[in-house]
Amino acid sequence: MRKHIWAITALGILCAPWGRVSADVEAGRAAFQAKCMACHSVEVNGPVMLGPNLVGVTERRDEAWLIRWIMEPDRMLAEQDPIAVALLNQFNQIPMPPLGVSETEARDLLDYLADVSAQASATPAAAPAAAIPRPTGLAILTAGLGRTQLAGLVIFLGLSMAVVVAFWQVARSTRQPVPTIDMKAAYRLRRKFFIGTSVLVLGTLAATLPRTPYPDDLETPDELVYVTARQFGFLYSSEPITTDADIGQVPVTNTLEVPVGALVEFRVTSLDVTHNFALYDPDHVIVAQTQAMPGYVNRLRVRLAAPGVFRVLCLEYCGLAHHAMQSTLTARRLTDE
Amino acid sequence: MELSPKHTLHWIGVTFILFPLLLLAGMFMRAIQANTLASTQSWFYPMMTLHGVGMAGLWWVASMACASRVLTRYTKPSAAVSTFALIGTILGVLLLLASVLFGRFAAGWYFLYPLPFSVGWPAWATLTFFVSLTVLGVTWLVWTLDLLRAIARKYTISQALGWHYIRGVEGPDVPPAILIVTTSLIAAVACLLAGVAVLLLFYYEMLTGTRNDALLMKNLTFLFGHLLVNLSLYLAVAVVYDTFPHYTGRPWHTNRVVAISWNAVLAIVLLAYFHHLYMDFVQPTSLQYVGQIASYMSSIPAAVVTVFGAVTIVYRAPVRWSLGFTLLFFGLMGWGIGGLGAVIDSTIALNSKFHNTLWVPAHFHSYMIEGLVLMVLGYFYHYCQERARMPESLPFQKTIVTLMLVGGYGFLLMFYLAGAQSVPRRYAIYPAELSHGAIYAGIAVVFAAVFLLGLLFYIYETGRNWVRAYGA
Repeated sequence: MRKHIWAITALGILCAPWGRVSADVEAGRAAFQAKCMACHSVEVNGPVMLGPNLVGVTERRDEAWLIRWIMEPDRMLAEQDPIAVALLNQFNQIPMPPLGVSETEARDLLDYLADVSAQASATPAAAPAAAIPRPTGLAILTAGLGRTQLAGLVIFLGLSMAVVVAFWQVARSTRQPVPTIDMKAAYRLRRKFFIGTSVLVLGTLAATLPRTPYPDDLETPDELVYVTARQFGFLYSSEPITTDADIGQVPVTNTLEVPVGALVEFRVTSLDVTHNFALYDPDHVIVAQTQAMPGYVNRLRVRLAAPGVFRVLCLEYCGLAHHAMQSTLTARRLTDE
Repeated sequence: MELSPKHTLHWIGVTFILFPLLLLAGMFMRAIQANTLASTQSWFYPMMTLHGVGMAGLWWVASMACASRVLTRYTKPSAAVSTFALIGTILGVLLLLASVLFGRFAAGWYFLYPLPFSVGWPAWATLTFFVSLTVLGVTWLVWTLDLLRAIARKYTISQALGWHYIRGVEGPDVPPAILIVTTSLIAAVACLLAGVAVLLLFYYEMLTGTRNDALLMKNLTFLFGHLLVNLSLYLAVAVVYDTFPHYTGRPWHTNRVVAISWNAVLAIVLLAYFHHLYMDFVQPTSLQYVGQIASYMSSIPAAVVTVFGAVTIVYRAPVRWSLGFTLLFFGLMGWGIGGLGAVIDSTIALNSKFHNTLWVPAHFHSYMIEGLVLMVLGYFYHYCQERARMPESLPFQKTIVTLMLVGGYGFLLMFYLAGAQSVPRRYAIYPAELSHGAIYAGIAVVFAAVFLLGLLFYIYETGRNWVRAYGA
């Protein structure tokens, strides 16, 4: 069943030439996956991520400009290079970071991008990815509101109203002041309040503590996906990635498909700072989440009940482009294939 | 040298300057999220850092200033240490401003390891930020220890913690404020030591290049951060205990139940921080359970003892609803409401749906804006007015409170609704499918402006008394 998980859009392009291309292109592919893939896609109709889709970039821009841009983007921005500044403005003021790339590596990257672009233009373009719909009208009031969230909101608003009413009544009572109140009656009431609160607290603990999102080791997952987070993107693979060097060695992608109904275990880690891996369903409701922490692997198990396009977001603040760190996951019935 | 009124008035002055500015920083962030200041979007995360560190630090020192003043009724905190704390805090704030405004440091208020070492800002900005926190941490630790020293001059530790009430044996009358401040300050020592440990580990990595353990750093960071905010609240509650009888004419004594409750709080508050790590599945599961149990248990002393006690003191009392008392009263209400939101989020089963959505700032802004802030501002007014005795206009004061309640709760409701609708926190720009977050942010700015108007009226009203008290 595991083969179903790697029905990949980008991977076909990224890995198909593996083993039958020049050494420069191969080195460029490894460098792209290690240093560029978190922010750029390189495919026809591919997603625009933090930076531009790089398919055809070697035709759009001058080679010398590209090499310098790859090697020292910070300097070009400081010099107010007009193209660099235009890109900065176009991509939400998120600057291209210095990657520590030598001129040889930069040329390898360009060889790879030219190679991928040439292959992409020779093959029919894949259909654009289905856009996740934007809520409009009254749907804005219910977008992202799952049953659990609704229950939490209703309980919160109900209890808060009870607190407000109690305080309001006490405030109003001061209009008819008395020198003293019956403290024995107050203590009796406090005892009842204590018992009531304790029953509520203990009852809720008993009801909720068994319902944790932590993996049950007695159950075996149907699918295993390794998720590697880094500023500012997610990489998916069928093998663990523990260092930057692994990225060039292991087939990776930044979009993913999983079968509906299967118990999928995501093994989530990070290569740099702490991130988060949160799944949003097609109705924009959080389905599940876990943190992506450097040096640790969090195991998140999810069984997606219905097909659709799920958004993956990072919910742990991870740097200046945190809000742009996202990906998609498609849940597909096996019969769709 | 004894703590003079000017020591407290200085802290009040600092609060009156910093609070509106930090509030504007918060409104600026919500305006960016509402897509109304898109050209300044690159400032969102630096402002988020300044707003977060600034507010957490400001309300810590403000509640410490209140507690110091209350303690002077029973013992003698050092005036020299208070001055030292003021100078250290101002120095720390200046360093923080340099780090954020000139270096664009933007690792957030809890600077989660290893984000401060990120490439988004210069290394000097990170170093300046750490030096700022070091100055603040050391200053506040000295201040905390001095207040404990002052308490220890009059009470033994067992007396200050009210253990003779628990054992049912004879002992001195211990005001509730002494009990609560002692409990809070003991926990504060643990809090500040955790903060110092985190900073030392950051410095160690900067100097040696040896990587720290991310899970350990996160535990220490939240032990520090969670405690700092909660203890600020408890210190403010101590002030409420001490000030309510002044308005109601009814004494609020320590008894066995109160002593048991606040000793329990000392244990509970040290364990509740685990709820910040529910989504770190590698944290031992037993600690996750401890987090939920401690978080739930903290509601019992808070609700059953403190809130119920306050209600008893006020019920049918001959209260004059001046600005000071009204803010203290509604501050307790906001603390309770924020606590409800926090308990819901501290439920592991619900946390996977609410964690790091806007529900989180919803509940902590509740017990900050409508809890801690109102309590501290209420005490500040009470203190200034008691010294200056300027004539009061109750209708104007009612307008101030109305603006702060309507503006504050309207602002908070936008957080709660957006959080329940899965909108993430700390996003400068929302993805298209979560664009409802931008609508809520826009409405929140309007409500925040209403709150700000109330705050400016409050500063005018209290400032009149402050000026006269300062000149006296």
